[in-house]
Parts: sequence; C-alpha cells; structure tokens
Amino acid sequence: MTTATTGATGAAARPDTPRVVGRTRDRHHRGAWRWVILALCIVFAIGMIAPFLLMVMNAFKSPASYSSGGPLQLPTELYTEGLVKFWNATNFPVKLWNSIWTSALAALFGVLLSLLTAFAIGVGRIRGRMWIVLVFLLANMLPQEVLLYPLYTMAQQVGLNNSGWAIVIIFAVIQCAFGTYLLASVLGTFPKALLEAAALDGATTWRILWQVVYPIVRPTLSVLLIFFFIWTWNEFFIPLVMLTTPDSQTVPIALASLQGDRMLDVPTLNAGALLSLLPTLVFFLIFQRTLTRGVTAGAVK
Amino acid sequence: MSNAAPSIIDPTAAPAPSRGRAPTPGRRPSTRVYWLYLLPGGIALTVVIIVPFAMNLWYSLHKWKGGLAPMRWIGFDNYVDLMSDDAFWRSFQNSLWMIVAMVIVPTLIGIVLAAVLFDVVGKNIGTRTASFLRAVYYLPQILPIAVAGIVWNWIFNAETGALNEILRSLGVTDPPNWLGVPGLALPAVMIVLVWIQIGYPTVIFMSALQRVDPELYEAAEIDGAGWYRRFRAITIPQIRPETFVITLTCTIAALKVFAPIYVLTRGGPEGSTLVPSYYTFLNFFDKSKIGYGAAVATVLTFVIIVVAVVIQSLQARAERREEEGR
Amino acid sequence: MRIRSALSAVAVGALAVTMAACGSGNGGSTGDGGGSDASGGADGELSCGEITFWHYEGDDSAMNQSWLVAIDEWEAAIGGTVKVEKQTFEQLQKNAKIVLTGDDVPDVMEYNKGNGTAGQLASQGLLTELDDYAADYGWDSVLPSSIQTTARYDEDGLMGSGPWFGVPTYGEYVTVYYNEEMFADNGIEVPTTFAELEAALDAFVAAGITPLAEAGAEYPMGQLWYQLVLHHADRDFVDAFQLFDGDVDFTSGPLKEGTDTLQGWIDKGYINPNASGLTAEDMGVAFIAGKYPVMVSGSWWFGRLNAEISDFTLGQMIFPENSLNAGSSGNLLVIPTNAKEKDCAASFIDTALAQGAQNKLAELGGLPVAGDASVITDENVKVLTQNWDAIVADDGLAFYPDWPVAGFYDQVVSFGQSLLNGSKTPDQALDTLGTFYQEGRADITGE
Repeated sequence: MTTATTGATGAAARPDTPRVVGRTRDRHHRGAWRWVILALCIVFAIGMIAPFLLMVMNAFKSPASYSSGGPLQLPTELYTEGLVKFWNATNFPVKLWNSIWTSALAALFGVLLSLLTAFAIGVGRIRGRMWIVLVFLLANMLPQEVLLYPLYTMAQQVGLNNSGWAIVIIFAVIQCAFGTYLLASVLGTFPKALLEAAALDGATTWRILWQVVYPIVRPTLSVLLIFFFIWTWNEFFIPLVMLTTPDSQTVPIALASLQGDRMLDVPTLNAGALLSLLPTLVFFLIFQRTLTRGVTAGAVK
Repeated sequence: MSNAAPSIIDPTAAPAPSRGRAPTPGRRPSTRVYWLYLLPGGIALTVVIIVPFAMNLWYSLHKWKGGLAPMRWIGFDNYVDLMSDDAFWRSFQNSLWMIVAMVIVPTLIGIVLAAVLFDVVGKNIGTRTASFLRAVYYLPQILPIAVAGIVWNWIFNAETGALNEILRSLGVTDPPNWLGVPGLALPAVMIVLVWIQIGYPTVIFMSALQRVDPELYEAAEIDGAGWYRRFRAITIPQIRPETFVITLTCTIAALKVFAPIYVLTRGGPEGSTLVPSYYTFLNFFDKSKIGYGAAVATVLTFVIIVVAVVIQSLQARAERREEEGR
Repeated sequence: MRIRSALSAVAVGALAVTMAACGSGNGGSTGDGGGSDASGGADGELSCGEITFWHYEGDDSAMNQSWLVAIDEWEAAIGGTVKVEKQTFEQLQKNAKIVLTGDDVPDVMEYNKGNGTAGQLASQGLLTELDDYAADYGWDSVLPSSIQTTARYDEDGLMGSGPWFGVPTYGEYVTVYYNEEMFADNGIEVPTTFAELEAALDAFVAAGITPLAEAGAEYPMGQLWYQLVLHHADRDFVDAFQLFDGDVDFTSGPLKEGTDTLQGWIDKGYINPNASGLTAEDMGVAFIAGKYPVMVSGSWWFGRLNAEISDFTLGQMIFPENSLNAGSSGNLLVIPTNAKEKDCAASFIDTALAQGAQNKLAELGGLPVAGDASVITDENVKVLTQNWDAIVADDGLAFYPDWPVAGFYDQVVSFGQSLLNGSKTPDQALDTLGTFYQEGRADITGE
C-alpha cells in the first residue's frame, strides 16, 4: 500500500488568498527566471504523467495493431472494443457497486472511529493517552500479511467471509488507526478557551463533540474521508483472499482476474485500468478542491 | 491551528499559547466520561488487529503447512532458521534501498518542488497553476498499483519498452536489460517507487509552507537575504514537523513495501529485489510454510516498531531543543 | 505449477468427431469417497439438487467449452443443476488453502496439478479421497497410466502414489512451434534430429537472426532447460527427480549435461540475453509477430497461436529426439473435504470424462485424455493431438521442472536468469539449485 497522507496535521491557510503583507511584488525577482522555473516544472510534470498517457493511448488500440506496432505507436483508430469487453467480461457494474459501497462505508466508519477515539485522547486527555496513541500508530504499521490468515479464520467463524462487510470492518479499523494518530495531534492543539466556555454552559461531552469540536475539524475529516476512500478502493491483497465469488469482488480484483487469464489482451487490460482509475480520479479532483480551499477553515488564530 | 507534528511522547503537546497555567474555572467534565469514547475504537482495534497479531505470533512458533494440516510446536526454531537464511538477510538489505527510494529521494525532491511551486510559481504566476502542477505530481499516488505495474513493464521492457525505444532512437545500440539483470532491476524498481512517492511529500510540504509566517520572509528579504538563504534559514527549520511525519510514515511504508515488487519483478531477477513482505508472502503461499512466514512477518513488525520509536524520539528531542531555544 | 493452461478456442468449424468411447459412468458410486457419508446408487438413482463448480478457465477455452457440454449432459441425465462460479487463477492459488477450511466451499473445483498445488491441498486434508469413485466409475482404466500420476498423492503431498485426489480431463505438453516462412526464406531445413536442430539454429545465428523466442522472468526458460536435461535423461531420472524414487545428482548426469547444453546454446547466441527480463506474454507476442523462428513452449499456447498468427504458417514438432518431454495431465477436478454433495460431484466429474465432453476438447485442440486424433479435421489441431497421443503412448510425460519441491518455481526462474546473465557458471547455478532441491526434498520426505 502506498502511504499517502494529507497534510491534515495542518494543511493550511488558503494559498489563493495571499495574506501577504501588501508588497508581494518583491523588487528582487528577475522576471525571466520564473518562466524558466515554470518550464522546468512543466517538463517534470510531463515526465510524471507520461505513463498515464501511455495507458490511455493503448486502451483505444486494437489488439492487432498493438501486436504489430507495440505500445509506443500512436493508435490509428479509436478502438472501443476493449472497454466493452472489459465491461462485459467482468460484469463491471456489479464490481463498481461493490467497490463504491465498501470503500464509502469503510471510509465513513474509519473517520467516525478516528474522531471518537481522537476526541477521547486529544480533548479528553485521558490518562495513558500517549500509550494509546502509540498502540494505534503501531496498528497502522503492521504488515498486512500478518493479519491475513487470522482475519480470514475469524471472518469465517462469524460468517463474514466472502462478504463486503468484512472488507468494510477491516479497513475501517486499519484506516482509523492512522486517522486517530493524526486527529489526536490536531485535537491536542484544540483551543482550550472554547472547551471551557462550553463546559461553563454545562454542555455534555457529547454536545461538545458535535457542536464545538466537529465543526472545527470538519475540513480535516473530509480530507481523511477522501484518503480512506481511495486507499480502500485500491486495496488488493486482503480483498483478493477474502472475496471469493464474482458477485462480491471489487474492481481491482476484476482487473487482476483479467491479468491472471492467459488471454491477456492489452487494450482490454488498459481499458479496464482506465475504468478502475476513473472513480478514484474523480475523488481526487474533489480532494484537490478541498486542499486548495485549505483545511483551516475553522482554525483559531 | 498550530501545526506541531504529533509526537508520541506527548501527542497532545500543544505549543500552548499561554504557558502560564491559569487556574481553570469551571472544570472540564471529568475525564472518566471520555473513556466511553475510546470504547468503539478500542474494541475494533483489539478484534481486527491485536488479536490477529497475537495469532500470528502463535503461528510463528509452529511448523505448519496451513489449512487443516497439524500444527507442530517448535518454539523459536523458525527464528533460529531465519538467522542463517540468506534470502531473509538480503530482503532486509533491500529494505534499505526501499527507504532510499521512498523516503530520502522523494522528500528531498518534494521539498524543492514544494518550495518552487509555492514561492516561485504560486506567488509569481498564480496559485491555480501551482495547484494544477501539484495535482499532476500527486497523480501516481492514486493509481491502482496493478496498473502501475503493467505500465512500467512496458516502459522497462528490454525489447519493446518505451525507454529502450527512446535510447535506440538516440543511437544506443545495446540498451540496458532493465528488469532482467540484478544490477539494474533494483534501480528500476526504485525509479518507479520514487515516481509513486513524489506527490506525497510535495503536497504536505506545500501545505506546511502556507503556515509559515510571510513576515519572516519579508524581514529576511529586507535584510538582503537571497532566495537560497531564505530557503535554508527559514523554510527548512519551519517545516521540520512535517519532515518528521513524512519520514515516519514513508519509512514504515518502505519497510512494508509489497505491491510494487509483486507487480514489477516478483522479487527477481535472481532474487535481487526480494523484500521482507514479499518473502513472507512467498512462504505463505508458494512454499506453504505458514510458521516460517509468520516468523518473517513478526521480525518485520519488530523492526518497524523500533524504527518508529527511534524516529519519534528524535522528533521529541528536536522539539524539546526548540522549546528551550525559544 | 504456475502454468495456466488456458487454451483459447479455435474456430474449427463443425467437425464430425466420433471419439472412441471412453468409459462413461458405468456404475454408481457406492463408496464413501473419503468420508462422504451419503451413498448414492447408480447414476439413475442418484438424486442431486444443485452442485457448485469453481473453475478459472477463460470462456473461450477448450476446457470451458468441454465442461459446458458436460454440464448440459449431466443436468439432463441426473436432473440436478450445476452452478458455475468463475474464479481467477491468481485468487485460487492464494486462497484455496484458506477458503477450503471453511464451509462455504464448492462441490467440485478445478485446481492445478502437482506437488506444490493439489499435493499441498491433499496433504493438508482439504481434498476428498476419490479411490472408491475411481474404482466404481472405472477412471483407473479410462485414464492412461502416465496421466494418473498427477491424480494421486501420498500423505506428504507427493504425486504418483497414494489415493486419488483429483481427476484430469485434458492434457498438456511442451512442444516446438516454428515459423515455416522464416525457415523457407533463409533456406533452412526443418530439423528432424537434435543435431539438425542445432545446425538450423546456428544457420539462423549466421543469418543474423536470434532463433529462439524465450522468457527468463517466467516459466519458459526453465522448461527449455528441462527439455535439454530430458534429452540426456531416462525414466529413472524422472522418477528420482520428480517422485523422489532414487537419488538426484546435480554435479553430473542429465542435470549437468542438460545445463551445459543450455549454456552452450546461450553462448552461441541462440537466445537473446534480454530474455532474462521478459515474460511469457512478451515471448508469445514476439513469436506471433514473426520476430523469432522457433518457440519452445507448452500446448496451452496453441489455441492463441492458431487463432492469431496470420503472416506465416505455424509449424509444430515434438522436441527432436526427446523420448521424454515436459508435460502432464492438465488441471484436476477435485472435491473439497467439506463439500456437501460429494456423490453428485463425482458423477459430474465422470460426465466430464465422457464422450461428449472429450469430443468437444478434441475438436478445439484441448488434448482429451482419452481420445482418438484421427478424426480431427483442422490440420494444426490434428498435429498437436497426434503428437500428444504419441508422447502418452510412449510414456513420455516428464512433468515440469519446478514441481518437485515447494517454492522451486522461483528457484528455477532465478537459475535460468543467472545463466542468461552470466552471473553464475553452470556449476554454481546447479549447486544453488541442488541445495534448495535437497532441502525441500528432505522437508517433504525425511522428517
């Protein structure tokens, strides 16, 4: 699993509202320089997305022209058979739905669990919180192979093997381990004045959580939600072993099944890759906006 | 919102704005209530992670083929065998290279990219351009790893790969056999990992830079410090907390790395890209040595814990020094 | 074995195939095949509801087509229904050991043959013993004896002896595919002897053409090596190497001679050194594109080659002068221990061995385990099947190089890569391989 985290620890004042003290147009910069640097950044960006371009290029190429010209030749026609084939071969709508609901629920529960636990640690300041955070952090660090065998056995005993719910539960917890680590530190810096004011009003902890804390950390939570969704979506190893029948499998597994088949046909595979990338891409674009808006909407100066 | 990176030593250590502790009027609700909030997370964690981990430990003390096969108690024999297992040592040696590829290189590139995007592109050209570029750099992070494997196999393929096609067109007669020779496969895998990882530190550092008080830069500029000096004297120290978070999370990810190896090389050629996770996997699924695989996984876990604790205590030390220095 | 034998269908048109009858179920199962407590009577009395069937063959593959025939026939005869749940090879390979311990298991499923796969499941108590069914249905007389090797496993999961645990319905073997045009264009004769083969390969090298399509990152290179080892070997060697019936010497004899031959082939430029990083897919695509004149690989490639090659004529021959060839039965149909409808599953397996299903296999080039090649009309399918029949008749199946011990696949791949890369001498490479082999063997037998 690639780790990707957010700068949720403190992502940030809005970049697009330069709170800069008036004189941004600094007298020193030499105009030409910035264009050179921009050009370099763009060249680097092209290098970064080149593999994606390669993928798109080969998704719409017929197997015959792929065999004769290889992956680098520009497609001569728009071949959509690959998409259709992948769609039908994997019964894509079913896989898509499985991926969506498991990822969404895992993300939701993961964020909720993180919030509750981090609330106890960061705001409640319970005793031994340092050790609790340590345990949560380590839980997120365990190699998945360690968990696989035992989890399968346990899922079987409660009748959750071959069920999306097993995926939801497992990943909600694995992600919440990370979310707790992060949120606890954010909430640790929570302005005491607000809490004390609420306590003076005689608010219960439940009300403090939902009416004082939640609105302020909401942006962080939404970033976490998006990350958890993308991570769960791309999970491969545990779902591969857990989900045994086609009607319960997720998109990445469908993709792997195509690959496992000897009859690997490159355009179909690429079309599948594109299709499985799209939902996460959409999510990512939403995330971009969240990040750009800044996660400090509620930050107290 | 202050941005102290979480520290295990005291995760809630707020750089409290008012250090003089005023006696708090209207005591906060007793902390005992808060234990209730810990329950759901605690139970879930126990069931899904702690218990399975304990079971894994138990497996590692047995000789077991898995399935319904009998488990034979052998105590620490698996661990003893590990010590004389070349593949095991090689896999951990490769972990060091994975750390280079997933932590050191991307972090360095990320700092530079973030600074350039934020300072130069963001301020002089437009934040939109900067966010767009940031999005592009981050893209590999959301790509399903299976797909990344396919795509990079085309790039590195010695015969038909994009990279060698380009090299041939530049007149190289015998371009390298990227994934076929031990000396090259590891660097090739590392290139892919760098590509995957770059976006992560870039995004985090960019948000960190937005925290930095612009007045610091203003002042430095008035003093006549150039861009590089400002970068060294202000930017680097200011983003230290994020650097720790990135170092910690990425180092752990590097120790756990599995999928990229699985899709690119399967530990080959000639075992040159074997990593601990993949070695565990091989023992579990190819060799049916569940006990032995569990032992590898356990060792890996302990290595991860040690590394995490070391990084955390370094961070705590750095923070304390900073506190005193204020 | 990681071999995926997914033969794609070949559009062979309608064939009037009349297969020699191959003992279809001639009696009911009365036994309790390894712990099934239901005892069915003869086929007629067997009453079945729904049985679940897991397999991982592509829709167009000969195996799948033949099983579809079996499903129709079985449903008509027995009155039950077969619910097919398509799996993926990757997945079953990884999770079968875990899944089969539960209750949610199929009644019959396809699984890879060999010590490292079906043998593992059998030794872990996850598969039903099929001896009684084999006797009742007469499978032991239907299947040629060399095909039966992969059906039986002892308590250590070693094939060749012990009870029946699976039933193969088709076969596979390693053969030589060649590009007739490339031979003709370069004025090179198609070889019939080993010496002629080497001469032909030399001639290609002299003409500036690398003759062998190869892949060192996956199974093909190891299979070529094994073919060369078998060139110097006899049945006793195979029994020792594969079935642990006798000692195996890694410093002299067939292993040494075959390895030296392979090293010679590499030195003479028969193989592109870049092959060490290429996959089987790369190899096949390059051969189909007409880049190499010769490809030594399995019959599982046949369907695809026959369908996709358009620019040249595909030739096939048994590896010259090899009386032993890499190959075996195809994947097995097995019945998990926790299956609920064992008797019904067994009668379904019997239907898959019956005439209808086997005819379909023959027609599509799927190498039936009990058949007659003389009735096939497609010329290429006919050659493939006749070669297969010849090898089976000579008892010439020698299994695969990575079968003997668990985890050997990776070792064999590394072995091939180190020869290709020149990072080890043949003796060093053999030594590494031998050490792993002996350890694995001791692990299985001498505990």
